[in-house]
Amino acid sequence: MNCEQIAELLPDYLQGSLALEQVHQVEQHCGQCANCAQDVAMWRKLALLPADQPSPESRARFEAMLHAYPTTSVDRSVAAQSGQDYGKRNTGWALLDWLRSPLGAAAWSVALLVIGILIGTRVDHPASPSHVDELASMHAELTSMRQLVALSMLQQQSASERLQGVSWSGREAHLDPQIQSALLRTLRYDGSVDVRLAALDALSRHAAQPQIRKGIGDALQEQQSPLVQVALIDQLAEWRDPDAAQRLRNFQQTPNLNPAVRQRAEWAIGKLQ
Amino acid sequence: MLQVRNGEVEMLGVLFDRYHAPLFNFYSKMTQDRTVSEDLVQELFLRILRYRQTYRPNTTFRTWMYQIARNTRLDQIRKTHPETPFASEPVAPASLTDSAQQQQEAALLQRALMRLPEDKRELLVLSRFQELKYDEIAGLLGCEVGAVKVRVHRALQQLRQIFLQLESGANAMDLDRASGDPIPPNVPPIRRLQ
Repeated sequence: MNCEQIAELLPDYLQGSLALEQVHQVEQHCGQCANCAQDVAMWRKLALLPADQPSPESRARFEAMLHAYPTTSVDRSVAAQSGQDYGKRNTGWALLDWLRSPLGAAAWSVALLVIGILIGTRVDHPASPSHVDELASMHAELTSMRQLVALSMLQQQSASERLQGVSWSGREAHLDPQIQSALLRTLRYDGSVDVRLAALDALSRHAAQPQIRKGIGDALQEQQSPLVQVALIDQLAEWRDPDAAQRLRNFQQTPNLNPAVRQRAEWAIGKLQ
Repeated sequence: MLQVRNGEVEMLGVLFDRYHAPLFNFYSKMTQDRTVSEDLVQELFLRILRYRQTYRPNTTFRTWMYQIARNTRLDQIRKTHPETPFASEPVAPASLTDSAQQQQEAALLQRALMRLPEDKRELLVLSRFQELKYDEIAGLLGCEVGAVKVRVHRALQQLRQIFLQLESGANAMDLDRASGDPIPPNVPPIRRLQ
C-alpha cells in the first residue's frame, strides 16, 4: 500500500476503529515509511498532555448558578411558554423583581394611586353606569401605562432591564402595534443574544398576527448569532408558512454561515416539504 | 436531559457531574487558561438550562452539548479577541516526577497546539482528547465523515511541522524559558513504532 491509501486508513487507525487486517497493513507500511510513522508518533505523543481537572470550587459555583436560576427572566419566558408548573411557581418572584426596579416602583405607585381614587369614588357614590365607564377608562389607562413602562425598559442600558422589558411587554393578550414594533426592533438589533431570544419567545406567542410572522421571517437574514439563527429557523419550521421554505433557501446562500446553522436550515427545509 | 427539558432543573446536576470535567478539559486545551475554562464551563451549563427547550430527543445529547460548547467558545473569542494564549493562569502545574525530556516535550507540544489555527486545534482536541468519534464530529460541524478524517489528518501533519520547528528552535535556545509552561503529571511512555 502507498501513502495515499494509508492516509485514508490512518484516521481510523488512530482512533482504534480499524479491522485487525487493516491495522496490520498500516503498521507494516509505517515500518517502512518514516513520514507516516511520524504522523502516528505525533498522535501518540499527544498523550503527554494531561487531562486537565477543574477546580473543586466549580461544583459550588454550578450549585449557586442553579439555585439562582429560577429568578431569571429568560427562564420565566421559556417556562411560561411550555406551560410547566415550574413556570407557574415563579410568577410571584416575577412580580417582586419588577417591584424592585425604579421604573416598576414608579408604575406601581401610579397604579396604587389610581386604585385609591377608584376606591374613594366608589365609597362616595354607589355604583352606577357612569362608574362602569370610569372603570373601563381606568383599565385602559393602566394598560397604556404598562405599555409605556415596557417600552421605556426596552431602551435601558442594562441587558437584564431590557429582558424584564421584553417579558413585561409580551404579556398582553393582543400586542399593541407600538410594542410589537419595539419587540421586532429588539429581535433584530439588540446587542445581547439573551434579550433577542427572549424577544423571539415573546413574539412567538402572538403568531396569529401575520405581521409578526413576517417580521420574524425577515429578522433571520440579519442575525449573526448562531443560537438566534437556530431558534428562528425552528420557529419558521414550526409555523409551516408557505413561503418559509423559500426564505430558508435564500438564507442558506448567506456566505460564512455557521455549519451547524446551515445543517439546521436544511433539516427545516426537509421538514417543510 | 429530557427531564431537565421538562422542568426538572435539579437533574442538571447529574449532567454536570458527568460532563463538567471533560468539558473543562476541552476548554483548557483550546484556551490554555484555567480561569477562562472554568468560566466557560459555567456559562455552558447556564446556556443548557436557558435553551433546554431547543433540545430535541432524537439528537444525541453529547453532540447537542458540544454544539453549545463551541458556540460559547466562539462568543468568548468574539468578546476577547485578540486571542491571549498562556494568559492569567496556565493549566497543569509542573510535576517534579516527570523526566526533564518529557517536561520539555509536553511544553513544546502545548505551544505547538496553541499555534495551530483554531479550527484545526479544535478538530484535534475533539478527536484526540474528547474522544469524539468522527461521525459525531461530522454531525457537530455539519460535514461528511470523510471530510472530518481528512481534516484531522491534515491538522495532525501541521501540528507535527510546528512541533519540529519549535523543537529545533528550542535546541538552539536556552531551554529554561520553557520551564514556565504547563507540564503533565505521570504520563505513559510513548511506544515507538518499528
